Amino acid sequence: MILLGKIALGITGTMLAGLGVVCSEGMVEVNVVERQPEVHHVYVLAPAMLMPIAAHFVPRHKMGEAAHQLRPYMPTIRAALNQLRECDDFVLVDVNDRDQHVEIQKLDGSFVVDVKDQDETVHVSTPIRAISSTLEQVAASNEETTN
Amino acid sequence: MQKTTQVLAVFCLMAASVTGMAASAMAAPTERYLHVKVEDAKEGESVKVNLPLSVAEKILPTISKGNLHEGRVTIGHADMNGIDIKALLEAIRTTPDNEFVTVTQKDQDVRVAKSNGNFIVHVRSHEKGNENVDVTIPMKVVDALFSTSKDNELDVVAALHVLSDAGDALLITVQDATQHVRIWVDSRGTTE
Repeated sequence: MILLGKIALGITGTMLAGLGVVCSEGMVEVNVVERQPEVHHVYVLAPAMLMPIAAHFVPRHKMGEAAHQLRPYMPTIRAALNQLRECDDFVLVDVNDRDQHVEIQKLDGSFVVDVKDQDETVHVSTPIRAISSTLEQVAASNEETTN
Repeated sequence: MQKTTQVLAVFCLMAASVTGMAASAMAAPTERYLHVKVEDAKEGESVKVNLPLSVAEKILPTISKGNLHEGRVTIGHADMNGIDIKALLEAIRTTPDNEFVTVTQKDQDVRVAKSNGNFIVHVRSHEKGNENVDVTIPMKVVDALFSTSKDNELDVVAALHVLSDAGDALLITVQDATQHVRIWVDSRGTTE
């Protein structure tokens, strides 16, 4: 009985540790509410670590063109993301017109995009670290293909 | 024994507060933001951009396109019209506060001045719905902009760096019948 308890404790501990590792880069949150013509609600909450892992499994030849276009901008992207991580929370862009409101902000280490109009509401939150590692993954795939 | 303990406790408390004060003094400087706000009353639209100056400082040197290289913008000699900008700036810097140019025309008034360490340009246009342009740039920023060794280069990164050390400042406002544009620097991460 004690042995079973120890095994259960071990399994639970491993699962918790695994969960901690998977969630260590934060969570990607997508929330889309469509009001017209029909009401639809899509909500996805996934560990951000899956982004670079997923990028790793995309076939290299399919990533080629995207990577080729991305590579020249990587120094700029890298500098921007590294510095953004250091910054306090702030609203980067806020656009308002009669029917639509778009807001892009840095909040708790994530880039958050909110779009609201009469027909739908879109909310996407992605940790900056995950964006960084995914883009590095994509850019590196081009290097590997080229070499 | 009790007295020694009390002295030790007071000493520890003092050490802790000194350490705390030192830590807060050594803390990272407050982030400065460049704000751009464009409002169109007629269309009911507004665009607000808040960019941390530190991010701009890091990004600019990585961009090499057109006239922009390593955070510096190259101006063609043709755009200078043979004017020695550095000599002109040196002359402005060394003169006391003054109004350098005042042009009053039927459709437009222009005023260029130096006041309280700022380089100021005011344009009042009486045509097309009374367009007003006000530019106030700290002289230190202008100096940094022209601090490169080459005559036909503007050091944007150096100017941003100086701007981030300067206090809150309203740099540019443009107002016409329907649109209002404001560009300013402060330490708030939002426009409002």
